[in-house]
Amino acid sequence: MSLVETRGLTVRFGGLVALDGVDLRVAEGESVGVIGPNGSGKTTLFNALTGLYRVAAGTILLGGEKVGDLPPHRIARLGVARTFQSSRLCPNLSVVDNVLAGMVAARRTGLLDAVVRRGRVRVEMREAIARAGHLLGLFNPELPARGWERVGQLPQIDRRRVEICRALATRPRLLLLDEPSAGMNPEETAELMKDLQIVRDEMPGLAVVIIEHDMFVIEGVSQRVIAFNYGRKIAEGPFAAVAEHPEVREAYLGKDTVRA
Amino acid sequence: MPPLELLFQQALNGLMLGVMYALIAVGFTLFFGVLDVIHFSHGDIYMLGAFAGLSVLTGLAAAGVGAPALALPLAFAASIVITGLIGVAAERVCVKPLARSSPLMTLLATLSLGLVIRESVLIFYPRGADPKPFPWLLPQGSFDVGGVVIRYENLAILAIGLAAMVAVDRIINRTRMGAAIRAVAQDPEAAQMMGVNLDRTVDATFFLGSGLAAVAGILSGLYYSEIHFIMGVTGGVIGFSAAAIGGLGNVYGAILGGLLFGLVQTMAAALIPRGSEFRDVVAFAVVLLFLVVRPSGILGAKSVERV
Amino acid sequence: MILVWAAEAVVLVLVVLGILVEAPLALAGTAAAGLAALVLVRVRPRLRAALAGAFAEHPTAALAGGAVCALALPFALRASPYWTFVATLALVYVVIGQGLNLQIGTAGLINLAGAAFAGLGAYTVGLLTVSAGWPAWLAFLAGPVVAVVVGTLLFVPILTTRGHYLALVTIAFVFIFNVLMNNLEFTGGPQGIKNIPTLRLFGYAFTTAPTVLGIALPAHANFYFAAVALAALATGVIRRLHDSWLGVALNTLRDDEIAAKCCGISIARAKLTAFCIGNFFIGLGGALYAVMVGFVSPPDFDFGYSLIMLSVIIIGGVDSIPGVVLGACLLVPLPERFRFLHEYRLLLYGVVILVMLLYRSQGLWPAAVRRYR
Repeated sequence: MSLVETRGLTVRFGGLVALDGVDLRVAEGESVGVIGPNGSGKTTLFNALTGLYRVAAGTILLGGEKVGDLPPHRIARLGVARTFQSSRLCPNLSVVDNVLAGMVAARRTGLLDAVVRRGRVRVEMREAIARAGHLLGLFNPELPARGWERVGQLPQIDRRRVEICRALATRPRLLLLDEPSAGMNPEETAELMKDLQIVRDEMPGLAVVIIEHDMFVIEGVSQRVIAFNYGRKIAEGPFAAVAEHPEVREAYLGKDTVRA
Repeated sequence: MPPLELLFQQALNGLMLGVMYALIAVGFTLFFGVLDVIHFSHGDIYMLGAFAGLSVLTGLAAAGVGAPALALPLAFAASIVITGLIGVAAERVCVKPLARSSPLMTLLATLSLGLVIRESVLIFYPRGADPKPFPWLLPQGSFDVGGVVIRYENLAILAIGLAAMVAVDRIINRTRMGAAIRAVAQDPEAAQMMGVNLDRTVDATFFLGSGLAAVAGILSGLYYSEIHFIMGVTGGVIGFSAAAIGGLGNVYGAILGGLLFGLVQTMAAALIPRGSEFRDVVAFAVVLLFLVVRPSGILGAKSVERV
Repeated sequence: MILVWAAEAVVLVLVVLGILVEAPLALAGTAAAGLAALVLVRVRPRLRAALAGAFAEHPTAALAGGAVCALALPFALRASPYWTFVATLALVYVVIGQGLNLQIGTAGLINLAGAAFAGLGAYTVGLLTVSAGWPAWLAFLAGPVVAVVVGTLLFVPILTTRGHYLALVTIAFVFIFNVLMNNLEFTGGPQGIKNIPTLRLFGYAFTTAPTVLGIALPAHANFYFAAVALAALATGVIRRLHDSWLGVALNTLRDDEIAAKCCGISIARAKLTAFCIGNFFIGLGGALYAVMVGFVSPPDFDFGYSLIMLSVIIIGGVDSIPGVVLGACLLVPLPERFRFLHEYRLLLYGVVILVMLLYRSQGLWPAAVRRYR
C-alpha cells in the first residue's frame, strides 16, 4: 500500500480545470520529483494534497484513508508537511519560534498548564527548543546560535532551511517541497541539494515530493519523476526516461523542436 | 399591521435612504477592490462632503447666489472636487505608506484618520458640536398616488442619487480610467505590465469614491435638513456593511447592499413596535445574519488568495 | 540590583512630582529632570546597556521593586482622591488592554468592540446588584463571564471568515450595544444604572477610607489596591499564555494563516480561545469600573472608548505586554494632567496614533522576541 495515492484527482476553479483526473502514487521513503511548465498544476497538486483546495472529483488516500475533504490542519496532523513557493515564515518571530510552530499541534501541555503549572510547560518548552536546535544544526551548525534572532534577518538560504525545519518539526510521513531552489544561484543550489540529502539521511522513512524547475536538482534528488502539463500527468519514470519523453519536450520546448 | 399605503411609502423612503447608503458603499467596495483595504475613514469623508457642501452653499448665499437651480449644482460640483481631493490626500498619507504592512496597520491608520477628521470638524468648524441646519433647496410639495404621498423632495434625491450611480457605471465601464481601475482590481501586477499607472489609478479610485461620498453627504443634508459632525461614524459603518453584504469588490453589489440596508431600516421602523428606535439594531442584525450565511456577499467577492 | 531599584525609584519620584506639583517653576523643573533622564538614557549607550543588563539579570528584583512602587503610589497621592481615582482608572485600562492586546496584537483579531465588552461586564454588575439584589462581589465575577458568552455567540458564526469581517461585526456590535442600552427599559435607558452597591469583602466596605500603616488614605485607595492586584493578575496570566504554545500558535496564524494551517494548528480553535480569554479580561475591567464608579450609563461605553482602548495598545506596542502597561499609564493620566488640552484630547490621540503607525509601528515598548524563561 502506498503512502499517498490519488485517483482521478480533479480540481477546478470556475471554468478552469487545474488538475484533470490525476492518478499517482508515492511509496513510503520514496523520493519523487514533479516537473512541468508554469501553470501545469504542480502547486495545485500540493494544495489539494494538503487540503487547501477543494477536490472537485476523485479521491486522495493517505495511508489507505480518504482525506479529500479534511481541513488542512487535520491533514497536517496526519503527517503531511510542506514548504511554500514564496517562503511563508513569520519574519518578526525568532528562528526558534518559527520552528516551534511546527510542534504546536503535538503539544502535551495546555492553557491551564501555561498559567498555573508553569514547571511542566518549562520542561516541555526546553525539550522543544532543544529539538528545534538539533534540526537547525543539521543543516547549518551556526543556525542554532542565531536561534533568537528574528528570522527575517537571515539570508535566504538559511530561511529556506528554517522552513524545512518547521516542516520536519511536525514529524511528517510525507514532505512536500515547492520549488525550494527558487531564486538561488548555483552555489546555493548545491547547498540545497546537500540539505536534501541530509533530510534523506536523517529521516529515511520520510517520503519526499519535490516540485522543481531546476533539472539538476531533480536529477540529483529524485528516484522517480512525474511530469505535468495542463493539469494532466504526461510522463512518469526515472529522470532520463522522462527527460527524453516527446510530450515532455513539447511541453517545455514547443512543438517545432520535437524530433519526429 | 399598518396599511399598504404606509408600507409602500416606507419602501420608497427606504429606497431613497438606500441610494444614499449605496453611494457610500460604492466607495468602500472600490477601495477594497483596488487596494485590498478597508478605508475606515470613508464615513468621515462622507461627513466632510456634507460640510463642504454646506460651506459652499453658505458662501454662495452670502454672495447672493441663492437660486437652487444654480446653487445646488455648484455646491455638488465644488464638494465633489474638494472631497475627492481630500480623499486622495487621505490615501497618500495613510494608505499608501502602509501598503506593505499588515492589513491591521492600515485599518488602524484609517480609523485614526477618521478620528482626526471628525475631531477637527468638531473643534475647528464654528460651533462644531451642534448639528448644522442645511438649507431647503429641493422643490417642496407632494402629490398623491392612490393614497401614497410622494414628495418632490424625495424624488429629487432619488433622481440625483440614481444619476450618480449611472455616472459611476459609465465611468467604470466606458472610460479608460475605469478600465484601469477594473484591471488593477483584478491583478495589479498584470495591470502594471499592461502599462497602467498604478499610483494614478489608485488616486483616481479614491477621488471617485470620495466624490460619491460627497454627493451622498449633500443628499443626506438635503433630506434631514441638518448635518452633524458625527454623521460619518454611522454612515461609515452602514456603508461598510452594505458593501460587505453586497460582496466586497463588486460595485453593483455595493449598490444592492445599500438599497437593501435602507429598505430593511425603514421596514423595521414601520413594522416593529418602537421600530424607529431599533431600526439600526434590526438592520445590523440582518447584516450579521448575511455575513454568517453568505460571507462572500450577494454578488460574490474577490478571488481566492494565491498559495 | 541596586541599579534596578534606583531606576524604579527615580521613575516613581518623577511621576509623583509630575502629578502633584502645581507651582510652575517646580513643575518646569520636574519636566526638565524627566526629559534629561530620558535623553541621557537614549544618548549614552553604556548607561542604556547597563540598565538593560541589570533588568535582564534581576527580573524578580525588578518585579518586586515595581510592585513596591505601585503599592506606594497611593501614599504619595493621599492628599488627592481625584488622582488616586485616575491612577486606579489607568490600572483598569491595563486589565482591559491586556485582554484586547491578546486579541489584536497577539492573534491579529480585529476587535473594535472593546467598549461594548467592557460595557457588558459593567452592566452585568449593575443589573445583578441593583435589579436582582446580588452581592457586589458575585456580580463582579459574573461580569466577565457574560462578556465571554456574548463574545462567543458573536464570533463563532464568522470564525472562518477573513479578518475585516470581524472588524465589521464588532463595530456593528458596539453600535447595537449602545442603542440597546439606551432604549431598553431594564437597562435604565440613557440614565443608566445608578447606586451600584459597593464591593464588600468579608464585611469590609470598599467605600470606607482605609488607614494603612498608620496613614489615612482616601477611599479610592481600596479600589486602587484591588486594581493593582487585578492588573498584576491580568498581566501575569497574559504573559504566561503569550510565552507558551498558545502564543506561538497565535503569532503564527496572525502572520500567516495558511502556514499555520499546514503546521497542524487549528485556526478556529486558536482564534476562539484568544477571543474568549481577551473578552474575559475586558469584561473584568468593565466590572471593576462599575463597582469603582458606582453607576453605568451608555455614553461610557461607546465607540469612542473602543478607540481609546485601541490607542493604549498601539502607542504602548502591539503584542507587547509591558507596552500595554506603559500605554495605559501614559494615556489615562496625561489628558487629566493637561486639562487645558481636554477639548483636543481625541484629536491628539488620532494624530499620535497615525504618526506612530507611520513611523514607529511597533510602539513605545516594542514586543521583544519570545524567550520562554
